[in-house]
Amino acid sequence: MNILRILAQIAILFAFSFIGGLLHTYLHIPLPGSIIGLILLFLALCANVFSVKWINQGAGFLLAFLPFLFIPTLIGVINYPELLSNKGFLLLIVVVISTIITIGAAGRASQYSENKSKRRQEEK
Amino acid sequence: MTQILIALFIISMTILIYLGMNYLYNYFPSPFLVPMMTTGIVLILLLISFHVSYDTYLIGGKWINSLLGPAVVALAYPLYNQRQILRKNIKPIMAGVGIGAFTGMASGALLSFLFGLNKVMILSMMPKSITAPVAMEVSSELGGIPAITVVFVLIAGLIGAIFGPILLKLFHIKSSIGKGIALGSASHALGTSKASEYGELSFSMSSVSMALTAIIGAIVGSLIPLFF
Repeated sequence: MNILRILAQIAILFAFSFIGGLLHTYLHIPLPGSIIGLILLFLALCANVFSVKWINQGAGFLLAFLPFLFIPTLIGVINYPELLSNKGFLLLIVVVISTIITIGAAGRASQYSENKSKRRQEEK
Repeated sequence: MTQILIALFIISMTILIYLGMNYLYNYFPSPFLVPMMTTGIVLILLLISFHVSYDTYLIGGKWINSLLGPAVVALAYPLYNQRQILRKNIKPIMAGVGIGAFTGMASGALLSFLFGLNKVMILSMMPKSITAPVAMEVSSELGGIPAITVVFVLIAGLIGAIFGPILLKLFHIKSSIGKGIALGSASHALGTSKASEYGELSFSMSSVSMALTAIIGAIVGSLIPLFF
């Protein structure tokens, strides 16, 4: 059964997130538990101790519905009507300018590094 | 018992509205009709018109929230699938994502500070370039408000999706790798869907950048409290 397999695989992803949470709490790793779980799963997959077939359908399902999952949090803005005031407008401007700068910086930096390593290869 | 019924009702309403908005988006694929945003607006209007509090909504909403942890872990899957591309282009990826993650957080915080916004808003602003489920976690660890962070994340994504092509031209970013990394590290999933229009390589670069920005953002976010 496909649905059962997806549910079982989501349970596995849950377990990684849960273990990450335990490491966060008891080993005082400052990262969020889910991020620790992500890193653990990635390392387990790369080290071949864990087969990608055990999580591919569950992961694919969750990522396909990812935008759905943060709707309950998004609706929380209902408690912050001040976002519709002048302050909200300032915040909007900050997000716009900062995102434009970030696109420029990330793109230029990667392009620069790419061209540099290309040139080095050509010189060889 | 009534709690369970309320929860089931809220969850089914949220799913139905989301599916409806998804259907609408498939017909009119405009960035202004992104299902997450339209679903949010419809639900907020419903809650206000029927005088339902956010706490009541959360009786069902918290069940949806509980899937966020596994969804973040699931990001390991695309990262693993792209591991060869990641290894082959490790230098431009790390340069772009590292500088992108830093610029995204620092410029957001600095501009908010210059505009005289308060500390909670500055902290809610910092994780805006990170994919929403991780941004929410980082925001609450920093002491920001996750709900407000999600709004910023949504806007950052929309800017990449709407103005991405113009901005890439403006900054003379011509390589497929650069385009993908720029959109993925500044505008997460929405930027990545735009990057897919530049071909397979841009798309892969963008999804790798999105996952790495989330990891780097979470690491930087966890270090910030040590300095302030």
